[in-house]
Amino acid sequence: MWELLLRSRKFITGSVVVGVIVMFGIIGPLVTRDANKKDWTKMGLPPSNEYLLGTTAFGEDVLAQLCLGIRNSLLVGAIAGALGTFLAILLGALGAYKGGWTDEISSFVTNIIIVFPVLPLLIILAAVMEQRSLIVVGVLIALTTWPWAARSIRSQVLSLKEREFVNLARMSGMKDRTTVITEVLPNMLAYIIMVFVLLVGGAILAEAGISMIGVGPAGTVTLGQMLWFAMNQTLKAHWWDMWWWFIPPGLVLTVFLSAVFVVHAGMEELFNPRLRTV
Amino acid sequence: MMKSLFTHPFTKFVLKKVVFYLIVAFVALTFVFLIPRFMPSNPVEIMLARSSPSNTGVNMTALREAMYTYFGMNKPLFDQYISFWGQLFTGNLGRSFRYFPAPVMKMVLEKLPFTLALVIPVLVISFFLGNWIGAKAAYVGGKWSELVYFFSVFSNRLPSFWFGMVLLFLLAVKVKLFPTFGAYSFGTIPSWSFSFFIDLLHHYLLPFFTLLFIYLGGWATGMRSMVIHEMDSGYVRYSEQLGFRKKKLMSYAQRNAMLPQFTGVNLLFNALIGETLIIEVIFGWPGIGRLMYEAVTSVDYPLIFGGFLITMCVVVLGNFLIDILYGFIDPRIRTGRG
Repeated sequence: MWELLLRSRKFITGSVVVGVIVMFGIIGPLVTRDANKKDWTKMGLPPSNEYLLGTTAFGEDVLAQLCLGIRNSLLVGAIAGALGTFLAILLGALGAYKGGWTDEISSFVTNIIIVFPVLPLLIILAAVMEQRSLIVVGVLIALTTWPWAARSIRSQVLSLKEREFVNLARMSGMKDRTTVITEVLPNMLAYIIMVFVLLVGGAILAEAGISMIGVGPAGTVTLGQMLWFAMNQTLKAHWWDMWWWFIPPGLVLTVFLSAVFVVHAGMEELFNPRLRTV
Repeated sequence: MMKSLFTHPFTKFVLKKVVFYLIVAFVALTFVFLIPRFMPSNPVEIMLARSSPSNTGVNMTALREAMYTYFGMNKPLFDQYISFWGQLFTGNLGRSFRYFPAPVMKMVLEKLPFTLALVIPVLVISFFLGNWIGAKAAYVGGKWSELVYFFSVFSNRLPSFWFGMVLLFLLAVKVKLFPTFGAYSFGTIPSWSFSFFIDLLHHYLLPFFTLLFIYLGGWATGMRSMVIHEMDSGYVRYSEQLGFRKKKLMSYAQRNAMLPQFTGVNLLFNALIGETLIIEVIFGWPGIGRLMYEAVTSVDYPLIFGGFLITMCVVVLGNFLIDILYGFIDPRIRTGRG
């Protein structure tokens, strides 16, 4: 199965693009200027050799901000993705495997939470949090975005638990929890990774979304925070045509989300026999 | 007659949905009640800290006490919960802090039509137009189909707020085709006149198009692959062998492809509500999103919660209606046989 992935052109292309963006986030902040340094003599400069992407209205280097923003956004995405996947497995896999009341309750909870509008819920959660660090925002996003993932993991487990090797494990007297962890989950690892990747993409978008409403992570640079400041400074208050300020973060977001989608499409083609072409 | 109505499977289906969404509303509202009370610092403390009137000679302890009393937060939790429900049923959401004596309920209800004016047309038009494009692409096939696929995937990946900013920059700032802010020109008084309507429409087009463009893509990709899948299934193949015309085959395939597409409306509706709130902020469209944005920046908690509450009501009611409509469209649910 894993070798097949390497033959999927979509998977490879998407992964390479995601990889490049991740590298930007890891290496970028180490080699660029200080992203938070405000130089009042260099306000709103267009892209030049000195400042490759120009400067903001506060005289900050856009390139440095972009790299730091990518890193922090990825951090929020990673936290939200990991915790969200964990919650999804907890409520999706265990319930589906055990069946009966456990399943009834966990799917009922999932079905209720899935109706909640994610963004407004995030707004009130974030609004009552005075200290909003990257971690807090990541956790809040995880708490609101797991339901669809739980639902899809549940349906996978439902089909997987009827397989012979799972029955064998059950017959050999293995505990339910151990069976799920050692037999069921490893066999759907690729699917779980797919869910994780989608959750990360969704979380990065959600972070940008709540930043636009003004309740994003405070005191740090993220892609959403960059867009928010750019919006307030260039599109609203005074008409400084600083396209170099708001185009890059949005472009990175779009490219990243597209790459995540392509990775997902590549994986789905492999794991969904209906779509398999490789 | 009455008896048959109550035992009809569709009635049972509707009643089940009613109970489910009542539970959803109950849980959501309980969340709204609990969230500010179980956070490390509560809204009153945050508001006091933000406004910091300490240097103006205001007695802080008295102010704090007055605010706790105003919100009823010095009473036992259960009593607060009871009065919370009492207030909800009488339609009392408290008063805004920033615009003080203004009741929150009135403010939110004034803004709601603006949000719905974006959400409902985008949902309906994107559904029909997007599905039509997707089905057409599957029908035509070949290069065009691929092109539609790539284009719709791309449009669906665009972060709506950024796309909105780009459009605003290009079409309102650079080329002054559209206004940059608000729902009507500064200084005009809302009225039922034709010129006001044109002005409103002029302001409406850009946010509307931003959302429509993004949601079209989602429907088109889904419908395209659903139709391609249906065209491959047994009944279509069989009819093909019988010599049915391609147009006839398509209409069969489309009908069956529509049903799974319709199950996506719920999720899309929830996502659309969220994105509309952000789009309103970008374009200064005076809906619930803009209201909540202003409430957040001025730490106006009653208004923030009022905004959430009304959004929640819209979401619950909308999901309920969509579910009922789905039951009506799906013959298996409508007749109870399936």
